[in-house]
Amino acid sequence: MPISDPDKLISKADKLTKLSLTRWSADWRNATLLYEEAANLFRVAKKNEKAKEAFEKASKGQEMLSSPWDAAKHMESAAALAKELGYWNEVTDFYRRASELYMECGRPQPASDALAKGASALEDAMPEAAVQLYNDASAILEEDGKEQMAFDLYRAATSVYIKLEKYSDAASSLLQLGLAADKCNATNSQCKAYLGAIIIYLYAHDFKQAEKCYNDCSQVDAFLRSDQNRCASKLLSAYTEGDIEEIKRVVQSSTVSNLDHVVIKLARKLPTGDVSALKTDAGKEEEEPLDENDLT
Amino acid sequence: MSVIDILTRVDAICNKYDRYDVEKQKDLNVSGDDAFARLYASVDSDIEAALQKAELASKEKSKASAVAINAELRRTKARLLEEVPKLQRLAIKKVKGLSTEELAARNDLVLALPDRIQAIPDGTAAAPKQTGGWGGSAPRAEIKFDSDGQFDNEYFQETETSSQFRQEYEMRKMKQDQGLDMISDGLDTLKNMAHDMNEEMDRQVPLMDEIDTKVDRATADLKNTNVRLKDTVNQLRSSRNFCIDIILLIIILGIAAYLYK
Repeated sequence: MPISDPDKLISKADKLTKLSLTRWSADWRNATLLYEEAANLFRVAKKNEKAKEAFEKASKGQEMLSSPWDAAKHMESAAALAKELGYWNEVTDFYRRASELYMECGRPQPASDALAKGASALEDAMPEAAVQLYNDASAILEEDGKEQMAFDLYRAATSVYIKLEKYSDAASSLLQLGLAADKCNATNSQCKAYLGAIIIYLYAHDFKQAEKCYNDCSQVDAFLRSDQNRCASKLLSAYTEGDIEEIKRVVQSSTVSNLDHVVIKLARKLPTGDVSALKTDAGKEEEEPLDENDLT
Repeated sequence: MSVIDILTRVDAICNKYDRYDVEKQKDLNVSGDDAFARLYASVDSDIEAALQKAELASKEKSKASAVAINAELRRTKARLLEEVPKLQRLAIKKVKGLSTEELAARNDLVLALPDRIQAIPDGTAAAPKQTGGWGGSAPRAEIKFDSDGQFDNEYFQETETSSQFRQEYEMRKMKQDQGLDMISDGLDTLKNMAHDMNEEMDRQVPLMDEIDTKVDRATADLKNTNVRLKDTVNQLRSSRNFCIDIILLIIILGIAAYLYK
């Protein structure tokens, strides 16, 4: 149709879909076509608000036409426009809806992609929601058995947690990364994930957690044999001795510099607070077992 | 006079003056019961031998052998100095057939001995002069170990050139260590990158498999479509229709030509 005015298209399409006395069933096919056209025109004209609405309606139309794939695609476009407009709640809703539609198609990959896109859009504005989306996205991938794709998601989730200063959550997401890597035999990523988790615990001053984490990770063969293991043990021993110089040296080493950016930043700041307090605690802990050994 | 005559005359004179020959007396005395004389004679001969060795050492070109000879000399000197108190005791003892003058002379000889022993050159720059009495432990103090500080003068000469060499060696080693450190850093980075690439490849393998199947399906569809299209077009372009099209075209052209003529 030669009508190039998108508003007119919209009104026409609305009329097609609204049920009234003259119209007993909505003509979704034409309506959807009109909606799509209108949306594209609006997007070109940079009328984001109207374009977003048009995309929403187009998506609904596609749903009615039982083509969830196109519906999901339109939802994504709508969400992208919403992001530019800054309607963060709508962004979440749209991306989630798009992901659901993708799952209906039986395509988990694009579903998680949609959620990931939503999360990255929300990282600055609503980090908690972003983290939620990342976790959901990784869950979808894990169900599907495609853990490899989940690595990036876990890393992104970790960086958001660190920004939020929720260090234990960050460390746990790194450990989940390690688990996923283990299933795919991606030993390098796994070891880097474990080392990152230990560093995060140390940064959060939680020396006991860090040690526990290290002990748990040492159960894993791949980690035990790796460079990262050596680096972690050096770091922990430097901590128990309270040797700040040694900590700094370990942190400057190339093993740590190969990790994720955010983790490197934390590591460089590492000797946080009272290392000597940790040393005395660790020293006291060590003395008691020695006494027991002497008695036996 | 003939040679034989000279010889006999010399022999006679020697025999006459043998009494005054100190060396010979000493040798005669050695076989005597005089312990002092015996000991003194042995010490004397040792000192002579040491002096000869010292001469040899000073003429020695190789520093190492010179050092060894000097060490030996020092040991000998120490030993001889140990003998001196024994000699002193023997000197004081009265031996029969010995005059008082000789006794005093013996004492003097014994006193002169330490100086003579010390005077043996053994490479020491300044031998400390012992002025005190000769107690039982004094000779012990005289025993010098080879690695005494006083002997460093000679050693320094040796190591000046070698210390430079050692310095250069240390510098070169440090530079090599620095270079190796840089290489190891680079290798670490490479290793990390290689591992990541490996994992990326592993990640892409199932994706490629999916693409493979999908593309296979698409090609099969295309082939089908092509075949069907071919059939349709063939049907449309069957020869009869084609001839009819050509004849009609000719007729139209004929009419047009007729109209425009």
